[in-house]
Amino acid sequence: MNYPLVSIVTICWNRKAEIRESLSRIREIDYPNLEVIVVDNASADGTPEVIEAEFFEVKLIKMFKNIGIEAYNIGFKNAKGEYIVILDDDSFPAKDSITKMVDKFSNDTKLGVVAFDVRNFYNYDEVKKVEADEADLVKKETAAVAENYLMAFNGAGAGVRRELLEKVGFYPEEFFLYWNEQDTAFRILDQGYRVQFFSDVVAYHKYSPKNRSSWRAPFYYTRNSFWLIWKNYPLLLALKLTIRQIYYCLYYSLEQKTFIYLKAMGAAFAGLSRLQGRRKPVANNIACNLRIPFNSPFTFFH
Amino acid sequence: MKEVLIIRSVSFQQLDLNLAAIKSQYPEWRLSVLTHEHGLLLAQKYQAIDRVYVYPFKEGFSYRRPVKELREKVFDTVIIPVANLSGAGFLNVLFFSLTLKCKSRIICNLVSELRPVGPWQIICHSVINKVWSLIALLLTLILAIPVLLLLPFGLKRIEKTR
Repeated sequence: MNYPLVSIVTICWNRKAEIRESLSRIREIDYPNLEVIVVDNASADGTPEVIEAEFFEVKLIKMFKNIGIEAYNIGFKNAKGEYIVILDDDSFPAKDSITKMVDKFSNDTKLGVVAFDVRNFYNYDEVKKVEADEADLVKKETAAVAENYLMAFNGAGAGVRRELLEKVGFYPEEFFLYWNEQDTAFRILDQGYRVQFFSDVVAYHKYSPKNRSSWRAPFYYTRNSFWLIWKNYPLLLALKLTIRQIYYCLYYSLEQKTFIYLKAMGAAFAGLSRLQGRRKPVANNIACNLRIPFNSPFTFFH
Repeated sequence: MKEVLIIRSVSFQQLDLNLAAIKSQYPEWRLSVLTHEHGLLLAQKYQAIDRVYVYPFKEGFSYRRPVKELREKVFDTVIIPVANLSGAGFLNVLFFSLTLKCKSRIICNLVSELRPVGPWQIICHSVINKVWSLIALLLTLILAIPVLLLLPFGLKRIEKTR
């Protein structure tokens, strides 16, 4: 087998323990040609010092302030691999996932993204056992596809062709947080590539209930849902979805007795000019078939 | 053997956590999952799950889109996982659960607390929310006028030129 260079790119912000764990796990990956890039979003908890002291093989890029997902783009631009693996600071791929990912890319030139099956780190041992059992079985189809719709991917574990990611303009920096994967998926699909989940390509994520207690998720998910619509959908569909999203914001504000959705909606309209030059409607079949759960922003509060 | 159906209304990462609590609550019961088509292979990886049913629609779970395959099936319990503490924002899934025949319904929240929810509770919740829905609809109609008039110009303005 050929081993093209694979760049693992992740960002972090005040997650010293998590990034230490992830980088330790990344060291265990059984792929011989890896580059690891961490972009630190100006952590104040000693995260960069830990990386420098303990992970000499990691290319650390330090930001002067927290710039959100824009930091990923700094990492992507510095990546030299043929493929990029995108991770969260608290996620890491299973030992054999990179090899499997490269194999899938090599066998399918129109495969743009290998979406990992992102599982919960706290069930690591249990899932790992399932993986080991599966390895004993004969090779079977592992592409998790739906016949009538398309899927985006999860940024806690995904492989993408570097040239393709560059062509579509990397992650949407203006989003700051959340739904950047969906926006990128639109543009990758529009280039004629596929995004596909594989059940045998696994990543583990420290998904914790504590992570979702703040206002950040409902605010950025809601604001970015409007921007996602305005950037990617053909006009009529964009208008229809905008009206539906306004309805959702009003309805869920009343249901959950909060102003966060209205605030986010206001921020979306007020920030329309920040999307200057970024609207490029995708083909109708992609707009209609990519599964975007537009009511999910309203499930993170309370 | 008694049978539990888990509606996969949250991410697999949350379900990974919830499943441990569900298994300990129902140790000897047969567990099944209902998931969208893209989740079939991923759900089949659970050792604790006996059977995976496919929700044959692209859209989210809805009372208006029941599963034909499950029309006659009777479950002992249907579990509805929610991605927060209260279940807010999941009325559509709760309402969908009314299309399933079962003896009890349980909400499983973000921190894996299990609590029963009766059909009348769901219906009452739904009636209250109909009021919010009507108010939201009226306000949306008012806001729709300037949005439909002005947004097309805004979208034209932000279009990529080359």
